[in-house]
Amino acid sequence: MSLFIFELRKLLLNRKTIILLLVLFALYSVIGFFTSLFLIGSNDTYKDYEMLSADYEGALDAEKAEKAKAVYDEISERYGTDSRMIARSIKDSPEIILAVKYKEFCERTDEYRNGTPPESNEEVYGINTLQSKISGLEKQGKQNTFEYKKLCYSLQKLTALGEPEFANILLWENLFTNWGEHMMQFLLLIPLAFIIAPVFAVERSSGMDHLVLSSRHGRRKIVTAKLLSVLITSTVIVMVYLIATFVFGFFPHASLHGWDAVIQSIPEYARSMFGFKVWQFAVVSALWLIFTGAVYSLIISFISSRMKSQISAVGISLAILFINVGLAAMGDSVIQRIQPVIDFGLANVTLIKEVFGGYKVFNVFGMIVSYPIMAVFVLGIFAVLAVIGIYRGQKHRTVV
Amino acid sequence: MELKFERVSKNYKDKKVLKGISVTMGTGVYGLLGPNGAGKTTMIKMMADVLRPTTGRILYDGQDIRSVGDKYRAKVGYLPQEISFYSNFTGRDYLEYSAALKGMEKSYTKKQIEELAYNVGLQNDLKRQCRAYSGGMQRRLGIAQALLDNPEILILDEPTAGLDPLERVKFRNIISAYSNDRLVLLSTHIVSDVEHIASKIMMMEYGVIRYINTSNKYIKMAENCVWLVKMSTEKLVEYQNNAVISNVIAKDGVMQVRVIDREKPFADAVQTSPTLEDVYLYIFNYLPEKAGR
Repeated sequence: MSLFIFELRKLLLNRKTIILLLVLFALYSVIGFFTSLFLIGSNDTYKDYEMLSADYEGALDAEKAEKAKAVYDEISERYGTDSRMIARSIKDSPEIILAVKYKEFCERTDEYRNGTPPESNEEVYGINTLQSKISGLEKQGKQNTFEYKKLCYSLQKLTALGEPEFANILLWENLFTNWGEHMMQFLLLIPLAFIIAPVFAVERSSGMDHLVLSSRHGRRKIVTAKLLSVLITSTVIVMVYLIATFVFGFFPHASLHGWDAVIQSIPEYARSMFGFKVWQFAVVSALWLIFTGAVYSLIISFISSRMKSQISAVGISLAILFINVGLAAMGDSVIQRIQPVIDFGLANVTLIKEVFGGYKVFNVFGMIVSYPIMAVFVLGIFAVLAVIGIYRGQKHRTVV
Repeated sequence: MELKFERVSKNYKDKKVLKGISVTMGTGVYGLLGPNGAGKTTMIKMMADVLRPTTGRILYDGQDIRSVGDKYRAKVGYLPQEISFYSNFTGRDYLEYSAALKGMEKSYTKKQIEELAYNVGLQNDLKRQCRAYSGGMQRRLGIAQALLDNPEILILDEPTAGLDPLERVKFRNIISAYSNDRLVLLSTHIVSDVEHIASKIMMMEYGVIRYINTSNKYIKMAENCVWLVKMSTEKLVEYQNNAVISNVIAKDGVMQVRVIDREKPFADAVQTSPTLEDVYLYIFNYLPEKAGR
């Protein structure tokens, strides 16, 4: 057997890890299943919703908008305006769900046209708002500023995307919530830290480093074998999460309806600048999670290569994750001061909603660079530094 | 082939573990003897390239082993003092993994594993998990691992610890047969392990190699210094605190005591031929005390 196969056996293809993966698969399946059930009651309710919403799909219709608003007003009088409270209370009433969803769609359309102050002051959104800001800058003769370029870029993107269209994307909305919210970080990245952390530390804690370091391939080839096995293991773990939440998210209602709608149909991604169809975005999201999982795994591997015990490696890997999540959850005044740390910290870059859901762009030597491209670049640097650090560490590593 | 330690020192913070060792080794079996803390394991770790000298260098055929790198380690077989395993590995896994680390060809690996397992008496245990092995079996597995790929330089740290007498004899025979055209360094506390097979024996103490000699020359060093004395138990209790005693045999209520001393200790003491164990005691217990160290 090659070194790579042995390393893969140590990390992934062993009884302990396989049992853990099966447990995780069961957990992820339960989460996918129940989030889907809580979204809309029974299968019949969903089928009714699917039928009703078919008439509403497409561009905004003023008459339907009025009807939806009337129903929403009645509901909010009864249950209040908290969207979660409303969602929980109406999950067995397809007509009301549709009215609420259509009312939200109307708001998104209005935002598309006019923006929604005061957020528009920070990140300007909406055709009319953008046009007015652009003409304001033109009047001041600021056509050469980055601000002007950014606004023009946003306007161009927004115009190209066109007005939002209503679609039944209820189950996809649930999927992207499972894939792109903080819950994913805890469900996916914590097990990842536990499984990957022993990769190098195990040599020290078991005393096997005598054998490894004195061998012909114990300084370089073994690192390559270990890193390949880390990448495969992290991909498998992420795939387990993706497959379980996908299959069991759609399973209760046995429908993939909305797969070819545009991503802007999903409320959380209404402001996305990317012209993906829902199914395309699902593929992109899966690839993104695999990519960020791989980068986090390489960082864990680097930590593991510097630690004497596996527990310390797990502890520091988790501390990095929690610090990032904690920072991202700080108040606006703190976040503004450490914006780059937040933008490219693990908490944000692993959330597809953060990376693909907005219209954030960066000024790189006067050029407009989108968030995903910048994130790929920064994470790529992290990954390369981790890999170089691991190779160098192993080259100079000694036993005590 | 030549391996040369050139003024090699190793410090751990303020503690000097090795103090400018210079020694040249060629083919043959080298025994490394010395009390605990003498620096034997540190010297061995450096030779196996798992520990770097603080000063000095180790040369393999005139080249620093650090610059030779992978090519040097490809020639080394190493059995560390503490043998370790991955928890889920069987004996075969362990040997196959070691073979992979050594970059051995797959077809050759299988054949050699069978051969070595037979030589160390583990041919029927390779499917068992390493953690279920007894201490002696683990040691034998470690020896097989070190011998994989017929290394040019074989470094063994306490290889016979935990082996029963029969296994120990078998081990010595394996090493003797193996040592032709190769360098074997064998560090041990057990003098008889190296007495008959080592072409040269290094006596190490306080981080320096005090002597390098053949077994016969060592024995000559202690000639006229080993005595057999008969005494009562009470006298022995009183006497042993001020003497170097290498052996005591009780016979019919009388103690037959083997004493190391340059001068005849008692009028009725009878001189006898020294063994290497006597020499070991003579060097490490007798000489330092008499020299006032």
